[in-house]
Amino acid sequence: MYDPKVIADIARAQAAYESRVREILAEAGVPAASTQSGLPLKTLYTPADVGDLDYRRDLGFPGELPFTRGVQPTGYQTKEWTRRQVVGLGTAEETNARLRYLMSQGQTGFSVCGMGYANYDSDSEHALGFVGRGGVWIDTLADIETLLDGIDMRAVTVNQIGSSIPVFAMILAVAEARGIAPGELRGTIQNWAEPGGEGPARRGNGSVDILEYCARHMPRWNSASVSVRNTRDQGCTAPQEVAFGCFLGAYSLAAAVGRGLDAERVAARLSFFLSAENDFLEEVAKYRAMRRLWARLVRERFGVTDSRSCALRFHVQTSAINLSRQQPLNNIVRSALHALAAALGGAQSMSVNSFDEVLATPTRAAATLSLRTQQIIAFESGVTRVVDPLGGSFCVEALTGQIEEAAASLLGKLEALPDRDAFDFMEELTRDEAYRRQQAIDRGHVKVVGVNCFTDWPDDDTDQPRIEPLRYDPGWRDKQIRRLEDARRRRDPARASLALVRLEGAYRARENIVSPMIEAVKAYLSIGEIARAREAALSESFRPTTWNFGR
Amino acid sequence: MRVLLVQDSTGHSTGYHVVARALRDAGIEVVLGGALLPREIARLAGEEGADAIGYRIMDAAPAILVARLAEALAAAGLADIPVVVGGIVPQEDLGRLAALGVACVFQPGATFAQIADGFREVGAAAASRRASMP
Repeated sequence: MYDPKVIADIARAQAAYESRVREILAEAGVPAASTQSGLPLKTLYTPADVGDLDYRRDLGFPGELPFTRGVQPTGYQTKEWTRRQVVGLGTAEETNARLRYLMSQGQTGFSVCGMGYANYDSDSEHALGFVGRGGVWIDTLADIETLLDGIDMRAVTVNQIGSSIPVFAMILAVAEARGIAPGELRGTIQNWAEPGGEGPARRGNGSVDILEYCARHMPRWNSASVSVRNTRDQGCTAPQEVAFGCFLGAYSLAAAVGRGLDAERVAARLSFFLSAENDFLEEVAKYRAMRRLWARLVRERFGVTDSRSCALRFHVQTSAINLSRQQPLNNIVRSALHALAAALGGAQSMSVNSFDEVLATPTRAAATLSLRTQQIIAFESGVTRVVDPLGGSFCVEALTGQIEEAAASLLGKLEALPDRDAFDFMEELTRDEAYRRQQAIDRGHVKVVGVNCFTDWPDDDTDQPRIEPLRYDPGWRDKQIRRLEDARRRRDPARASLALVRLEGAYRARENIVSPMIEAVKAYLSIGEIARAREAALSESFRPTTWNFGR
Repeated sequence: MRVLLVQDSTGHSTGYHVVARALRDAGIEVVLGGALLPREIARLAGEEGADAIGYRIMDAAPAILVARLAEALAAAGLADIPVVVGGIVPQEDLGRLAALGVACVFQPGATFAQIADGFREVGAAAASRRASMP
């Protein structure tokens, strides 16, 4: 990118500058700086730090390989990121009302949490105390009908959080009832392949079933939103987030190929779900590094030739681990910075956490403020007018390279391990980092405003705005049980038992489970009934993994 | 001291695992019970001879779960095992948890040292209660 002679000259001058800086810092007792993730940081970056970059090879143009600068040629000029605040409270009625309100305020995407996480019905002992608290509660198709009531599934893309196949089937059943063919439907399901299933086809592996069903019937639907956002929120570092995401993405792609699917076609519909944390420059660099690493991986490993299938598209939900219960209004500022990093990093879709989310499910006003945060960044800050405006910064380019290198090296380690061990290793690394994070906060090495520094807050109520978190309504459970009983009463018992027998047979035969599941949910079988049928057919108790619920 | 650490669900379990490690580092023996129903927690606490129960509650309503746990412990004759709650507990639930006999609640922002000290104090108080019983 630069004339080697010029670089050599800058490097000489930089060496002199750096030795002066070292002296000053040593005298002042300032320790060496690093990013939040522990990557070494310099005081200043120059062209000499990025002298080996080849512009066309390493950066290129937005919409072109290796997509470092973005996946759309025009960035946000022609396609804004989707405003996709995550919603989920009470029964489908409360969540639908909240969604419709947010949509009336400018929300453009559907994203609901809690759907089918539990694998028990609302009238079960397992549901007592849970219904509607950690997201919406879903028992039967009747709930998804209510959830999507008044929402145009042709105009709004649906994001399914969690990978519940019954819920996925319910979404497809509602679309079918509205005359929308699976091939027309646009949306995303949180999914990635996990170990399991026999042989290369991995029969009986629900995550691969989803990939297969989508690849065959739903060309406009993202068959896997590979979520590493929650892993990041559980503690891991930025390079680990990139490495884990690429590992899971490649693992899913390989599983799909093993099922006999076309890599190019599946890759075109893989998407990612990432976090946005405190270290602003590192986060922006992270998105850029991941786009570059992923594009090269898909092209080189899977021989994908259509460059669009190599483009890393991602949704961002801003960090929760960085928000504080203390002085909760500070979280508004934190989340805005997180969201700004995601915008500068070229996110396709976004959900900004609400300031009161550390206290309870957000109130409607707090959720609206999160939406406004997105709108202010999009319409007022001006950062959306230029694609990848931080690209070319010596620092951001150097960090992008550092993150890519660290992630590629970890990815190599993960891929050298047997499947199950690799998944366990990711969990182990994440827990180690979570522990280190808390230790660093306890020791004051990492400052958290309002938590371990600047902790004074006026006691006088008149000095601070009132914060009233949403209160959990235990009546939601009673209401949900009534909804469940009503659905059971109204369904055709013969059709329900036939669908149940058919479903059990499909589980036993290890068929792709999606089609029989659609029939099961259309017969208004409940998620609890479906889960018990699965347990009976497979003779194993259902154990949800932390982030792949309900498969 | 032997602590049974349990949680209400498997999701968002960072705090659960981090606290488990912090307690172990502080020299406290930790039995990881995982995600259990309140009645299962009471049974396991008895089987393991726990000196205290640490209950991480994230997804469910704390007062509802703790009331069920208190009932199950009482039914099993284990009401003297102190219960410590960790997680996001609404302000309005703090009084209810105290009334249900919860010894201590740790919310986001608690340090490792505070949590380990809290368990030790709770364990010591329970031991002295037992010693003073006729």
